[in-house]
Amino acid sequence: MSELITTGVDIGSGCIKTVVFKVNGDKVEWLGKETARIRNRDPFQLTNEAYDHMLKTAGVDRKDVAYVASTGDAENLSFATGHFYSMTTHGRGGLYLNPEARAVLDIGALNGRAIRMDGVGKVLSYKMTSQCASGSGQFLENIARYLGIAQDEIGSLSMKADDPEKVSSICAVLAETDVINMVSRGISASNILKGIHVSMAVRLAKLLKSIGAVDGIVQVTGGLALDTGLVAALNEAAEQEKVNLKAVSHPDSIYAGAIGAALWGAFRHEKLARLGQAA
Amino acid sequence: MRCFIGIDLGSTTTKAVVMDENLQILGRGITNSRSNYDTAAAVSKQEALIDTRLTLFRRALSNVPEVSGKVDDILSDLERNFRHVQFLEQLEDLQNTCIANIKGPRFAGREKVVIEALEGTFSRLRDSSAAQYAPGVKRKSDFFRDLAGAEFMSHGEAVCKEAGLGFDLILNVYDKSIIEVENRPPAGDMEGKFVRALEKGTMTGSSILAPVQSALAIPLEETYVVGTGYGRVRLPFPKEHIRSEILCHGLGAHMMYPDTRTVLDIGGQDTKGIQVDPVGIVENFQMNDRCAAGCGRYLGYIADEMNMGLHELGPLAMKSNKQVRINSTCTVFAGAELRDRLALGEKREDILAGLHRAIILRAMSILSRAGGVKDQFTFTGGVAKNEAAVRELRKLIKENYGDVTINIDPDSIYTGALGGATFAVRAVVN
Repeated sequence: MSELITTGVDIGSGCIKTVVFKVNGDKVEWLGKETARIRNRDPFQLTNEAYDHMLKTAGVDRKDVAYVASTGDAENLSFATGHFYSMTTHGRGGLYLNPEARAVLDIGALNGRAIRMDGVGKVLSYKMTSQCASGSGQFLENIARYLGIAQDEIGSLSMKADDPEKVSSICAVLAETDVINMVSRGISASNILKGIHVSMAVRLAKLLKSIGAVDGIVQVTGGLALDTGLVAALNEAAEQEKVNLKAVSHPDSIYAGAIGAALWGAFRHEKLARLGQAA
Repeated sequence: MRCFIGIDLGSTTTKAVVMDENLQILGRGITNSRSNYDTAAAVSKQEALIDTRLTLFRRALSNVPEVSGKVDDILSDLERNFRHVQFLEQLEDLQNTCIANIKGPRFAGREKVVIEALEGTFSRLRDSSAAQYAPGVKRKSDFFRDLAGAEFMSHGEAVCKEAGLGFDLILNVYDKSIIEVENRPPAGDMEGKFVRALEKGTMTGSSILAPVQSALAIPLEETYVVGTGYGRVRLPFPKEHIRSEILCHGLGAHMMYPDTRTVLDIGGQDTKGIQVDPVGIVENFQMNDRCAAGCGRYLGYIADEMNMGLHELGPLAMKSNKQVRINSTCTVFAGAELRDRLALGEKREDILAGLHRAIILRAMSILSRAGGVKDQFTFTGGVAKNEAAVRELRKLIKENYGDVTINIDPDSIYTGALGGATFAVRAVVN
């Protein structure tokens, strides 16, 4: 076992995440991290900038990185050593953030993913939401914008709801009109947001149930993991669906995919080295 | 003079048409309906009345020998300057509203920096506005939100970068404020703005001022108003003044093209296939369910994704000669697919051409559910102004239904309001 530096790059549809780790057998040290919102810019150019900035801050040279692991939409990243699928990286990243977790719920800008894994991060089963953005992260972000609410205010507002507005599935793009109608009917932003959180949570709880994640800790990852209102609604929905799940978040939840990629990258590098064909 | 008005309160835009008692169209007005419907109805009506005034000016000026042959230039100058004055007034309102919205813990201790960044942004917006309203310039959109929004994003990001400030803070203030500003009808009196626009004009006022002022003096009486469209139930109208949008679209298409049998209307958030009989009465119709794929908002969303104006999409897609196939149905997913393809180096026009095909394919399935296409076929709604969508539609109609006469009026976005105005005339003059 030797000490090596690995990095993980996770390009999502809303945001890019990148991390750098020092790995020595079971000893894992997190050296640096960086995120950037894509906002209509070229994701690959943005990744390059964020990646360099992160390495500089962590005091690591590009040439000292043994393995650059990509995940998400970063498959075509020019400087990646290899690519890992989102299911495996989020499972492993969730486990790193919370060793007790046996399931991961990744809520990104477009998709929700439920993943069940064992204690070493091997994926046992997984499922993704459909090809419609209703109830996705982008959907929630759109609604917050129509309400003139910043993303970090969503959670606390939702927690203040006293009479959540029932919403069935709404098209993410046409949601604007529905929201305007709710506002003009005098429904508070708190109750609108909570209603949306509830409808998202019920759908995500069913997704977890469908892959057999019915008890224990679920690590919430992805861009929406920091939305306390959504996590609270998830726990309420789990109770409703009669499953014994506890959804928890972590301040670094957004990095789960990138973390998992970096750790799998170290594993693959070691394995290749053992096979005598160093990558 | 007696005016008969139809107002079509769409989900995205609100249109108004003013007619005289002889069913002659005097003016058209449009605004976006994101704000509350009462405001949207009031603004679109005001816009249509402004347009009516322009019609009256045109008539008045046609009798002035000194300006013969120059009337079009004079009127377009007048309108341009008027719009510019209006834009600057709304910009000032937006700036004041933004500054008033800088409060709460998010801004604690940073108020001064944020205000300075906002002031810097707005001063650049004002400076660049003159170019937007220069002669011959095609504006990216008809609406303040779009015109101000696109510029605000680009200038705002630059200003924040220089000031070392997160753009999110400013964006949040903007989002809060633009809604408020949109909810206020443009302030001030129409006449006063016209006179100011006249003074700004490049034409000498002497020979045209008198006819313009006499045209301004003609009282416009709102004889009868009919409302239709998505927001019609929220209009402050008595029941007998409200008609369903299907009826209005059918009649409006019939008024433009009396031989119409099938109408396709692609609006902001619904797409309708309508069959009408020889007198313009609806026989059958089909609509999409609440999903943006296949409606105008699909293109609106794509335009936002590409940092382009809605009016710029069609012309760019027309440049394509290698259509990219878009696999996503959902609008948001199509937006992500667009970004992926751009990152892979596909050309913007080729991707756009594929997106235009996608929207028309959805419309074709609605048409077939509504009973197919019979001769003559009329295409209405905002998307009918988009040449790339029209090109795709012609192709697919020919493939599926053979040679059918296809009618497209450049003002077809006003079809529902035209039907409404026609109902208004019929209610009084019979």
